[in-house]
Amino acid sequence: MSAAAIEAENITKTYRTGRHRSIEALRGLSFEVPAGSVFGLLGPNGAGKSTTTKILTTLSLPSSGTARVTGADVVRDAATVRTRIGYVSQGASTDPLLTVRENLELAARLRGMPRSEAARRATRLVDEFGLRENVDRAAGKLSGGTRRRLDVATALVHAPRVLFLDEPTTGLDPESRAAMWGEIRRLAGQESLTVVLTTHYLEEADRLADRIMIVDHGTKVVEGTPASSRRRSPETGCASSSSNRMPNARAVLPHPCWACARCSSRSRGRRPCSSHAPTTARPRSARSSRRSMRRGSP
Amino acid sequence: MFRRWIVATWRQVWGPAMSLLQPVIWIVLFGQVYTALGSLPVFADGGYIAYLVPGILMMTVLYSGAWAGTGYIDDMNSGVMDQLLSAPISRSAIITGQLLQQLVINVLQSAIVLGIGALAGARYPGGVVGILFALVAATLLATVFCCASTAVALITRNQVALIGLSQMIVLPATFLSTTMMPAALLPDWVQAVARWNPMTWAVELARTGLDGTLFNGSADAGLLLAQGGALLGLAALAFAWTLRAIRGYQRSL
Repeated sequence: MSAAAIEAENITKTYRTGRHRSIEALRGLSFEVPAGSVFGLLGPNGAGKSTTTKILTTLSLPSSGTARVTGADVVRDAATVRTRIGYVSQGASTDPLLTVRENLELAARLRGMPRSEAARRATRLVDEFGLRENVDRAAGKLSGGTRRRLDVATALVHAPRVLFLDEPTTGLDPESRAAMWGEIRRLAGQESLTVVLTTHYLEEADRLADRIMIVDHGTKVVEGTPASSRRRSPETGCASSSSNRMPNARAVLPHPCWACARCSSRSRGRRPCSSHAPTTARPRSARSSRRSMRRGSP
Repeated sequence: MFRRWIVATWRQVWGPAMSLLQPVIWIVLFGQVYTALGSLPVFADGGYIAYLVPGILMMTVLYSGAWAGTGYIDDMNSGVMDQLLSAPISRSAIITGQLLQQLVINVLQSAIVLGIGALAGARYPGGVVGILFALVAATLLATVFCCASTAVALITRNQVALIGLSQMIVLPATFLSTTMMPAALLPDWVQAVARWNPMTWAVELARTGLDGTLFNGSADAGLLLAQGGALLGLAALAFAWTLRAIRGYQRSL
C-alpha cells in the first residue's frame, strides 16, 4: 500500500456554463495526504474544496490530471475507491424518513454486508456515537447535531480507510460543533483511518488537522502543518502579517480573525485584531505593487 | 434500495392513499356524466362503466408515474443522492430499486381500482387471466412514465419543472386516446393521434383482457401484439433514458 492515502496530481475541473462559457473550478491542484492523518482542506466558498472532495469520492470526474485514493485511481478504478471511502456531504446524508437504525443498516447493505452483519455493525455504531436514545426515531426528526453524528456514523459503517467530511460543522450551534470536534478527534486517534476535513473555519482545521491546505480559485495557496503554515504574533497569538505565507491564506478567508484560535474572544470573528486587519493582511497585487514603485513608495 | 423506498412509502402512506381517491372520483364522475352513452351499440353489453374502468386504471397509472421523479429531487436536494453515488453500487441499481417500488405500488393501486370498478357495476368477463393481462399492461405503461418522470427529474432537478411538465403531458395523453371514448366517436385528427398514443395501446390491451375479447378471438391479435411490443420497447427506451440521465447527472457534478 502507498504511504500516502491520497495522491492528487495536477487535477483540473472545468464546468461548462454555456455554449462558449466555462468556469475553472480547479486549476492544476496537486497534494498528498499521509495515511492515518487528519487533513484540513480550507478555503472560502467557491474555492474548489467541494469539487476536490467530489473528485476524490468519485462523484465527479476531473477534466485532467490524476488522483488516487489508497492507491486506486478515482477514474479507472472508481468501484474500488468507493469500497474504501466514507463520505459525509455538506447537506444531510441520511434518509429523513428512515430511522437511525434503518439508515445505518441501509448503508451497510449498500456496501454488500449480509443482513446479520449489517445489524451488528449498526448496533455498535449506535453505541459508539451516542445514538441509543434516538435509535428508532426518523433521521428527519433529529436535532442538527445528532443528525450530523448519524451522518458520520453512516459513513463509517463499512470501516472505510478514508473518511471525507465536507463541512461537517456548518450550520451547527457551538455546543453541537464542539461535540462534533470531539467525534473527529476520537476518529483521528484510529491509526487506520485517514480523515479529509473540508471547512472554511481555520480554527477548526487548526484544532483538528495534522496538515492543512488552503485553496482559492482552484489553486493551492498554502500547505503544511498548521504550525508551519503560519508564524504567530507574540502579543495576540495571531498569524503575523509579516509571515510570507499566511497573509495569502488570510486574504482568502471570509473572517480573518476566525483564523486565530488564540485571539481574545472579543475580537474573534467580529473585529479583526491588528495583525488580521484586512489592509495589512491582504497581499498586494502585482499591479498595485508596480503602481507603488512608480510613486516611489515602499 | 427497493426496501428503502418501500419503507419510505409506508411512512408517507397518505400519498398512495390519496391517489386512490382520484379514480373513485373519476369513476363516479365520468360514469354518471356519460352514462347515457352506454346505450350506444359501440359499447356492447357491458355498458359505459365497463368501457371506462380500463381507462381509469391507466389514468391512475399515468398520474402516479408522473410523480415518480419527485423522490429523486428530494434526494438530490438533501445530499442523499451523493451518498448513493459514492457507494459501491451500480447506477442501474439506484434506478431499479425505486422503479420496482413504484411498480409494486402501481399493481396494488391497479387491483384496488379494478375492485372499485366492480363495485361501480363493471364486470370482467375475461376472468382472472384477463385481470392479470390488464395488470401487465398497466405495469408496462407505469414503467414508461415512471422512467420518463425520473429522467426529467434528473435532468431538470427542479420540482416545479417536473410537475409542470407532467401536467402538460398527462391531460393531453388522456384525452387524445381511447381512454373515455372509442376511436369511432373521436374526430379524425384525434383518432390519428390516439393511434400512436401509448395510453391508447395500454388501455386497449387492458380492455380486451378484461372484456374477454382477447380470448374469444374477436380482438385483432396482430394489432394487440404490435401495441404490446411497442409498449415493451418504449419501456426499455425509457429505462435506458433514465440510466443516461443519472450518468449525465453525475457527470455534471
